[in-house]
Amino acid sequence: MASSNRVAVVGYAHSDVQRHADTTLGVSTVQTARRAIADAGLTPADVDGFVTASLFPSAGAHAAVDGISLVSANWLAEHLGVNPNYAAGFQGFGQLPGAVAMAVNAVVSGAADYVLVHRALHNPRGSYHANPMTEARGDQQWTVPQGYFGPLAMIALTYTEYVERYGAAREAMAAVVVEARKNGSRIPWSAWRSRPLSVEEYLAEPMVNDPICRLDCDLPVDGVACFVFTSAERARDLPNQPVYVAGYATGAPVRHRLPLHWPLDDIMDVGAQTARRLWERSGVGPSEVSLPQVYDGFSPFVYLWMESLSLCPVGEAHRVVLEGGIDSDRTDALPVLSGGGALGNGRMHGVPQMLECYLQLSGRAGERQRRGVSVGVACHSSPHYGGAVAYSNEPF
Amino acid sequence: MSEPGRPLPVPDEGSEAFWSAAARHALVLARCARCARLSHPPDVVCPHCGSTEPGFEFTPVDGSGSIRSWTVMRQSFLPGFDVPFVLVDVELAAEPDLRLIGRLVDGPGAELRLGAPVRLAFEDLTPGVAVPAFTLEAAP
Repeated sequence: MASSNRVAVVGYAHSDVQRHADTTLGVSTVQTARRAIADAGLTPADVDGFVTASLFPSAGAHAAVDGISLVSANWLAEHLGVNPNYAAGFQGFGQLPGAVAMAVNAVVSGAADYVLVHRALHNPRGSYHANPMTEARGDQQWTVPQGYFGPLAMIALTYTEYVERYGAAREAMAAVVVEARKNGSRIPWSAWRSRPLSVEEYLAEPMVNDPICRLDCDLPVDGVACFVFTSAERARDLPNQPVYVAGYATGAPVRHRLPLHWPLDDIMDVGAQTARRLWERSGVGPSEVSLPQVYDGFSPFVYLWMESLSLCPVGEAHRVVLEGGIDSDRTDALPVLSGGGALGNGRMHGVPQMLECYLQLSGRAGERQRRGVSVGVACHSSPHYGGAVAYSNEPF
Repeated sequence: MSEPGRPLPVPDEGSEAFWSAAARHALVLARCARCARLSHPPDVVCPHCGSTEPGFEFTPVDGSGSIRSWTVMRQSFLPGFDVPFVLVDVELAAEPDLRLIGRLVDGPGAELRLGAPVRLAFEDLTPGVAVPAFTLEAAP
């Protein structure tokens, strides 16, 4: 890929991730952006590009207000007092990989020299997904009158197929969620800091939409993360060890489906194409990835990403997990949730995966620093609608 | 009639035929006038042949099929639903990979498996409004 390793992450900042923050989302975003820019050794006047995906991922009836419940690229530029050369938002699924791809291309094309990518997530008061609609119009008329609504029901259908086809045990999913919460409990900014989960607690949790329970879902939160991107050349003059974008891929199924209908075969067929595209563009393969960070906004995605990325054979991820194969404290395991993921941090929509890649590959993970990591992959959303970015600690 | 307050479908130009048939407890689906294949929900471009003039005709479909997946809804984010209830993802026999999601009227106690045969049923919501649902075929 022409842009491979030509653009690097050179700084970051992250707010506390909280169930409900005292600070308005826009304020927190401006504060976090200023810290990220300073972390990169820059001033706001240096930043001439702004990219985000501002989606507010709720099925509820909340008003989406810029600066309050979401933060667009233009809103942030304005409130930092910058008239940017480039400001844009990614509209598709796989919001964070999509935004990173836009930032990379803005730098490579010369549209902007220093691009700030941010992701700001809000948890409104009241139920996150509850919707009092009495009429179902447009696309929703095909599923809402039957009661098929919201992302839990969506992933429940997918997960039933997986469980029934491959004989996956609930104990295996317990191991996934416990691993995410273990790692999240060690992260100072996590909504779950110092709050690990036991297998027994997971197994005792009642179902919401079988076979999905509350603990399979990430916690809605208020939180902001910002990353600064620039060219590999400019990165040499900046204070932090650069982390290079080796490649990226997003996908989208071509099959026409009912709203929120994600059959397992759709996910895996298109997920294989997403992964192939990632390996081709980044010039690495699954065996070279020392830090795979799979998306886990709903716990079944862990299996689906592990299998899509060929970290294990299709249908086998639940066995790998049950045998301790993703325990990040084991040197022989795949540390796919070492950054705590969404289940261990809160609903930060791909940020924990990207942040873990950045922190570990730049050598800035502190007490959690892992040895011998050189290539990371940060996944977001589903393998068929989402995307992934490969990061490297050196340009190859 | 049951569960007052459930969201009701609002038919539009592309769905009026579907909902008026449903009210008579019949299933009709969009058939492309160019390639003769069925699609659901109807789209503005035929998802099979790509025709931008699909001239969809709503064709009666018997609605038998097999279960591809299911979930027991023990909590609903929508008003009006009495929980628990079961939703099934059904592949209709009328055409490969043609899918419909609806309630399994047999309820949460039914024994389910992938591939289990089902046939069409309907839920009556209000006078003149019914939504497609399914029931398990008796074991042969």
